Amino acid sequence: MTEEEGFGFAPEDDVPIPYLQRIRDYYQALGYGAPYRWAHYAEVPFAPLQKKLCDSRIGLVTTAAPYHPDKGDQGPGAAYNAAAKFYTVYSGDSAAEHDLRISHVGYDRTHTTAADRSTWFPLAQLRLLAAAGRIGEVAPRFHGAPTNRSHRTTLDTDCPELLARVREDKADAVVLVAV
Amino acid sequence: MSLAARHLEANGIPTVVMGCAKDIVEYCGVPRFLFSDFPLGNPAGRPNDPQSQAFTLELALRVLEAAPGPRTTVQSPLRWSADPAWKLDFSNIARLSPEEIARRRAEFDRQKEIARTIRTEPQAAQ
Repeated sequence: MTEEEGFGFAPEDDVPIPYLQRIRDYYQALGYGAPYRWAHYAEVPFAPLQKKLCDSRIGLVTTAAPYHPDKGDQGPGAAYNAAAKFYTVYSGDSAAEHDLRISHVGYDRTHTTAADRSTWFPLAQLRLLAAAGRIGEVAPRFHGAPTNRSHRTTLDTDCPELLARVREDKADAVVLVAV
Repeated sequence: MSLAARHLEANGIPTVVMGCAKDIVEYCGVPRFLFSDFPLGNPAGRPNDPQSQAFTLELALRVLEAAPGPRTTVQSPLRWSADPAWKLDFSNIARLSPEEIARRRAEFDRQKEIARTIRTEPQAAQ
C-alpha cells in the first residue's frame, strides 16, 4: 500500500466530466475543424430573492420537447433525433400533465434511458412543494426553451420571449432545468 | 439554458439552474447552480426514485434562497454509482474505433441535414 492509499482519496477520474474538452476533442476527431464556441461571460448578474419562498410564485423552464407521434422515435432510449427539436419558445399549463421527451438533445445515452421524465422535468415535485407550503405556488405555466445552436437566436429572440412570458405569469423566481 | 437564467436575472428575476454539465454552465456563468454529478439527462434526480428527485429539487430551492452572490454552485451529495467508471464513456474519442468514428460522422451529418430542413421549413417546425 502506498502512502496515498491510506488517505481515502477518490480515484483521479472521479471528477465532474470535462465536457468542454471532451466535446471539442470529439468533434475534431469526427473531422469538424472549427470548434463550437460555448457561451462565456466574465460578469454574472444577480437578483436577490424579494420574498420568502413560501410566499413566492415559482416558474419552471425546461429544454425538453413535447412528444409528437409524427416526429420519429423520441424514446425512451431513442437515438439522437433532430426532427424532434423545436425552434420557438412554447408554454404549457402547469396544472395539466405533459409528455415531454429529450431525444432531441445530447444526453448520456449509454448510462441513462430517458425513461422517467421526472428526472428532467420536476413539475410534479414542484406541485408537491406548493401543496406542502414550501413554496407559495407554482406559476400557471411552464416554458420550453429551444436548444438552438445559434447564440444569436437564443440571445435576441428566445431569452426576451422567456422573460416576457415569465413576467406575464408574475413569477417571483424561476427554476431552469437543463438537459 | 444558462443564457436564459442570466437574462431573467439581469431583469430582476432570481433563478436557479439545475444541471449535470458543471464546466459548461460555469463557463457561461450563472447566478445559482445546483450541480448533480449524474449522466447528462438527469438534472432533477435519479430515474424512478422520487426520493432522490424530491431531495434534488429541495436542494435547488435552498440554493435559490441562500446563495450569497452570483456563480454560486452547490454540488448535490448524491452519487450516480459507487463506481465512477461511467464518467469515462460520454463522447470519449479515446474509446471509439475508427469504424465507429466514421459511423458517427455519417449520422451527425444526417441529423444536421434534418435540423437544417426543419429550420428552413417553418411549417414543419410548427
